[in-house]
Amino acid sequence: MTNEARATRRALLQAALAAPMLAACGGVSTSGAGGAGSVNFLSTQFTPVEERQRFEKILADKVTSAKVGYNPVDNSTFATTLRTQVEAGKVQVNLVGGLHGDLAPLGDKLMDLDDLAGSLTDRGFAADLIELGKLGGTTTKYIPWMQATYMLAVNKKALQWLPAGADVQKLTYDQFLSWMTAAKAGNGGKPVFGLGAGPKGLYHRFFQGFLLPSFTGGQITTFRSAEAVTAWEYMKELWGQTAPASTNYDFVQEPLQRGEVLVGFDHVARLATAPKDKPDEWLMVPAPSGPKGLGYMLVIAGLGIPKGAPDADKAKEVIRTLTTPPVQTEVLRQNAFFPVVKADLPGDLPAAIGLEAKAVAAQQSATSAIVSLPPVGLGAKDGEVSQIFKDTFKAICLDGKPVKATLDAQATKLNGILDELKVTCWKPDPTGSPCRAA
Amino acid sequence: MKRTWGLQLACLAVTAFFGVPLYLIALAAFASRESLDRFPLSLLPTDVSAETITTFLGSTGVVGGYLNSLMVGLSTVVLALLVGVPAGYALARYAFRGRDPYQLFLLLTRALPIVVLSVPLARIFLQTGLYDTTYAVTLLHTALALPTTVLITSAVFVGVPREHEEAAQVFGASPVRAFARVVLPQALPGIAAVAMFTFVLSWNEVLGATILTLNQRTLPAHVLTTLSDSPLAYRFAGGLALVGPAIVFVAVMRRYLLNMWGTTLR
Repeated sequence: MTNEARATRRALLQAALAAPMLAACGGVSTSGAGGAGSVNFLSTQFTPVEERQRFEKILADKVTSAKVGYNPVDNSTFATTLRTQVEAGKVQVNLVGGLHGDLAPLGDKLMDLDDLAGSLTDRGFAADLIELGKLGGTTTKYIPWMQATYMLAVNKKALQWLPAGADVQKLTYDQFLSWMTAAKAGNGGKPVFGLGAGPKGLYHRFFQGFLLPSFTGGQITTFRSAEAVTAWEYMKELWGQTAPASTNYDFVQEPLQRGEVLVGFDHVARLATAPKDKPDEWLMVPAPSGPKGLGYMLVIAGLGIPKGAPDADKAKEVIRTLTTPPVQTEVLRQNAFFPVVKADLPGDLPAAIGLEAKAVAAQQSATSAIVSLPPVGLGAKDGEVSQIFKDTFKAICLDGKPVKATLDAQATKLNGILDELKVTCWKPDPTGSPCRAA
Repeated sequence: MKRTWGLQLACLAVTAFFGVPLYLIALAAFASRESLDRFPLSLLPTDVSAETITTFLGSTGVVGGYLNSLMVGLSTVVLALLVGVPAGYALARYAFRGRDPYQLFLLLTRALPIVVLSVPLARIFLQTGLYDTTYAVTLLHTALALPTTVLITSAVFVGVPREHEEAAQVFGASPVRAFARVVLPQALPGIAAVAMFTFVLSWNEVLGATILTLNQRTLPAHVLTTLSDSPLAYRFAGGLALVGPAIVFVAVMRRYLLNMWGTTLR
């Protein structure tokens, strides 16, 4: 240790001791805003690095009325922050954005937005979206922001194994299974189907919104019905034709891009980069349909204003801007979330998004469509209910446990959670209270 | 001779145990995104690109978060030592009534998980007007660090013979001066260990920091949600960015750490 080195070390330490002096200002802004007059926007959406940057750019370019500080957080922090601020009577967040399921449990913390909704009639929101925004009450609590769903991405290489007579745009679950079986056999025993069953994957949505509604017409009430047994038996077979590495997939676009799998099911925002390099080689198709119809999940996000928010008028201006067709299509172009307003989709959309847009339209306009929502009003228990579906999958498909017994055991757990919450059912289950597995 | 060989091997094994993961994270953070999609991955830097890490470091708030984290971490170290070292000294040198219950009581701050405390904590900080400042996070981290600070420093001071202090006072040093000139230098390794411990604790703490801040987050609170939902490449880049400063801090403090267990070498 030379003297010189010792001196620099000492200087370093002195600098370190001086650092708290810097803290005299109480911190450095990390959301690009936070000063007086800026709108603090707390949201559960666009958490991934690139999505966040792209959305911040949209905010900076399009919102001229105020500077917006965008703060994406996970949904439990979202709920805690909003609750404490409203209860303490010191609200610092002016604007909140989240999925319907994030906002539903916080309805009593949100301002009534009837006047704003009334002034946005020219936007052409679908009537049922407006209804959802009332959270089961009589006044508007949130304004629709954007929507998304899930679908299948298909690499055209996989079409060679498509069974005769099957239309890839209108598959049934049985056709899908025989296709994947043929594809695995034709691919030298390597499965070509990927499901986002990783730790952060959204595979529980496949069961909640697609597989079970298509087979049983419900999500919760029919959890252990005879049809649900059929559905899970089907899933067991499909899992046999699915890439076993799926349990590591968080975003199915990644294995699709690598060519590890050829067909993948995931959220539209998690499939968007798959066809980026060679869009001509890809198809985006609606989910298959089952005995009860084409079950699909509608992911709807909304914008609300907390009670007692400072500068509520500025926040309303931001909502007005975010619901204009140009901004809505820009969000679609950048982040693959679809407009909730009447907007003509521009012709110059990125290829992948154009493909998705067609599939979204086909899925929504299917005659046998069964819409479901992500669970509503579960608040902090949301993860636990999703975990039930994940556990059911694990027990049946990975551990090979008998289907009926597993469903009975899991239904008991599910009802344990739901009986505590006493929430009413959400689509596709009949709205009656309280929601539980029959 | 044989023993030194064994020792060398053991040292190498321990170094590898901690070094290899860091190497792999750094490798992935500086690889191009396409090369991460390849299989098998190469273990040598064949495809170096700073694209991911520059995008990450350039994204909103990362630099600010860095500064906030450094401020909070260093302020926490200073504050925890200012409060904790005298308390540790008192525990080591004086027998007072209620000493043992006091030691136990200190540990109680760690008995409740922050999740349970989060809502009331946030409300208190909101009402006092400290919400969304680095002070709030510093106070919380200091409270979390104090038990370890007090208990470790008291163990260190027990290791410093009282005779040294008395000898200094015989030569005319005031108690404070005797403490500063005689006891403190001997206790330095232990205090350095405590400082590292505290800094790393503060650097890693996410939940409290997330709940107490909004626009002025510390780095982990700012990027953790983001990273866990981001593509793989960003997780490596963010991981490397989060590991760096803690390693630098430990490297700087290492000199004062003569051995790990907080006792002085005589």
